[in-house]
Amino acid sequence: MIEVKNLIKTFEGRGQVVRAVDDVSTQVAKGEVVVIIGPSGSGKSTFLRCLNGLEEFNDGQVIIDGIDLTESKTNLNAVRREVGMVFQHFNLFPHKTVLENVTLAQRVVRQRKPAEANERAMKLLTKVGIAEKANEYPSRLSGGQQQRVAIARALAMDPKVMLFDEPTSALDPEMVGEVLDVMKQLAREGMTMAVVTHEMGFAREVADRVMFMDAGRILEDAPPARFFTAPKEPRAQAFLKQVL
Amino acid sequence: MILLVLAVGLWFATQRIHYEWRWERVPQYFAYRAEVSQDTPVAGRVSAITPEGRSNRIEITPEGGGQPVTVTVEQAQVKVGDAVAENDTVGVNFQWRVGPLTQGLWVTIWISFVSGFIGLAIGLVTGLCRISKNPTLRGLAIIYIELIRGTPLLVQIFIFYFFIGTVLNLDRIVAGVGALALFVGAYTAEIIRAGIQSIAKGQTEAARSLGMSATQTMIYIVLPQAFKRVLPPLAGQFISLIKDSSLVSVIAITDLTKSGREIITSSFATFEIWFTVALLYLLVTAVLSQLLFWLERRFARSD
Ligand SMILES: Nc1ncnc2c1ncn2[C@@H]1O[C@H](COP(=O)(O)OP(=O)(O)OP(=O)(O)O)[C@@H](O)[C@H]1O
Ligand SMILES: [Mg+2]
Repeated sequence: MIEVKNLIKTFEGRGQVVRAVDDVSTQVAKGEVVVIIGPSGSGKSTFLRCLNGLEEFNDGQVIIDGIDLTESKTNLNAVRREVGMVFQHFNLFPHKTVLENVTLAQRVVRQRKPAEANERAMKLLTKVGIAEKANEYPSRLSGGQQQRVAIARALAMDPKVMLFDEPTSALDPEMVGEVLDVMKQLAREGMTMAVVTHEMGFAREVADRVMFMDAGRILEDAPPARFFTAPKEPRAQAFLKQVL
Repeated sequence: MILLVLAVGLWFATQRIHYEWRWERVPQYFAYRAEVSQDTPVAGRVSAITPEGRSNRIEITPEGGGQPVTVTVEQAQVKVGDAVAENDTVGVNFQWRVGPLTQGLWVTIWISFVSGFIGLAIGLVTGLCRISKNPTLRGLAIIYIELIRGTPLLVQIFIFYFFIGTVLNLDRIVAGVGALALFVGAYTAEIIRAGIQSIAKGQTEAARSLGMSATQTMIYIVLPQAFKRVLPPLAGQFISLIKDSSLVSVIAITDLTKSGREIITSSFATFEIWFTVALLYLLVTAVLSQLLFWLERRFARSD
């Protein structure tokens, strides 16, 4: 479903060149849940953002469901609608109601009729448990509720892949669970997911594979049982000691 | 209290220069009753005048005899038995006419609104060019903005009227509106640019990651939020535009200011007219700012 070959992304700032993603190759199969962990600044977000072309990368290949992002005739917008993304800070549209947040892209991108878009939106809002807030503005919702709306908004496009960038990091502890529950349900339903998170419990329970990133490289890639009990890399061991 | 002191001070000041206030002269410049003369279609003799409500029926028997002709007027200027020639005035009707102040006010309002809307469109386009990736567009936008902001509006109006207006053979109204529109356009562009840039990057990223194109993102996500945010500075800009529009009177457009000047030359009620003109500007700007305030509150619903 996702194929990454020799991906390189550098940032230039104040004369320094930062290799945020440094020659990464990996693949994610259909229905697989991959959790990416690593210290701050290790390039997890940048890697994830390269996967839907939000970040233009310098070299390498990203192939989503058989479509190569780097090929010049590829329509990035067409690829992005197949790849849902959930952000750390929700990024809901504040000038639209919850329902409009979920229907807007269905209407303008998928060209669905309002009735059809509304029906799909209400189904998803019910699924994430906030149908009763459909006509509220996002500012009236708690962080956990906003993040669940953001997930519904991404799902409304019927994506083939979902990317999560620290979806629970900006939440108060008591709201983390409600968002993780939604994500767990998605994983059970067979969604292909790439999740950057610090929630080790989630990784252990849901992930098929855990990747450990440091300094733009994937240093370890293993099933959670192996990764959490016997990490091979010394840097992964040090990181785990810190967070567990 | 302060207002009272000011009023008393003003009264003493005008006493000292022996100014005679003639406020009663002002209303006629808003609207007045004009006399419209009524003529007889035939030559003959007035045979009868019968009052009929507020008007009078004048009957004129034609010279050669025949059916009497009737003319209805509000005020008769002939008596029974008078001889009248064809097209002689036999009386007058009264009609309400708008005075020069009202006309000037109207010109000021519509010139401001038309140039304001054109300016908004120019500002939107220029603002978008200003942040575009294309260096040519960006450069042109910067040059335009700097040219306009670096020169006085009065000079721009003169250049627009005497140079561009002459070359392109423009009407003075078009030249005036054009100069004002270009002027607000430059300021609006900067306001809109700042507004767009103030919208968090995450909004664009969220929209793009849903598959929306750059244009769709601009239209549905960024501009509506930016517009809400720039409404207060835009309102300020349009209120100054109404005041700045008084400068077009220099190219002989009869706006509120020019009307005021013209009335003064004939009425000598200098102080009264200028106070009235100021009050009218104040009225328009106050109504506009109330309107925009209301709009702002409506937009604030989602906060
Ligand atoms: N827009 C940018 N311009 C310049 N450098 C950037 C930019 N975005 C990220 N970087 C740099 O790239 C590196 C990787 O950043 P990234 O945000 O991907 O890390 P991360 O693993 O997501 O960290 P965190 O856990 O703090 O979110 C960092 O050194 C960061 O400073
Ligand atoms: Mg990050």
